[in-house]
Amino acid sequence: MGDSSFNGGWIFAFLIIAVIFGWGGGLGGGNNAAMAGLATTAEVQNSINAAFASQNAQNILLSSANNNYETARLIDNQSMLMTNQNNTNLLTAINGYNSVAQSLASGFNSVNQNIADLGYKMENCCCSIKTMLLENRLQDTQQALADARNIAVNQSQSEFLLNTMGKWVANAPAAAAAYTASK
Amino acid sequence: MMLTGNSNGGNLMLQALGSMMRGESPKDFLKSLANTNPQLKGLNLDDLEGTAKTLCEKNNVNMDELADKIKDFAKSNRQI
Repeated sequence: MGDSSFNGGWIFAFLIIAVIFGWGGGLGGGNNAAMAGLATTAEVQNSINAAFASQNAQNILLSSANNNYETARLIDNQSMLMTNQNNTNLLTAINGYNSVAQSLASGFNSVNQNIADLGYKMENCCCSIKTMLLENRLQDTQQALADARNIAVNQSQSEFLLNTMGKWVANAPAAAAAYTASK
Repeated sequence: MMLTGNSNGGNLMLQALGSMMRGESPKDFLKSLANTNPQLKGLNLDDLEGTAKTLCEKNNVNMDELADKIKDFAKSNRQI
């Protein structure tokens, strides 16, 4: 009675149905009441076709589900690729901005350095000018002192000579006015 | 229980075949069948073999012969 094709007691279910409801002369006929004619060959074929149709429908649904899954997977992959590309683009842009910012910062540093150098040079220049002015002033002062000393020496010499000659006048009249030609 | 063949019997056999192909339980199939077929009410579905034997004996049906015909029916339709 057991048959691997009828797992789970299906053969007994068929027997119960056949005994209670009969199963049709189109299936080989029977020599007892249980096998009295019921289903025609066409009915059997139709039912089998229906069973196949059901199986086909399941296969179609499964295929459709697989297609949907594949479509979703492709969309997901495409979305991931686009996201990655966007991230790459953003990263490239950020790197570009960073490079520009770095260049600007470097440029500003260079400008600041040049300004500092210029200030240093200007300070040196001012210092040199001040030094030169002071030196000039010192020279002028020294010259004035030398002139004053010469004058003093000359006056002393003149007084000595005049005293020696006995003609020293303590309050000599002022020197005559400079000659001017009459008009 | 009378062995009264009716026009629904062949379809029920094929419905059972379809249910088996879908991997369903024979007990569940017979339970659902009992909802619309009072002939199945009161059967012990927990012991399908015992119930089938009892039915065959009460109705003077050769169980092995009928089982062979059922198998031939299924094989001829290439369903098992």
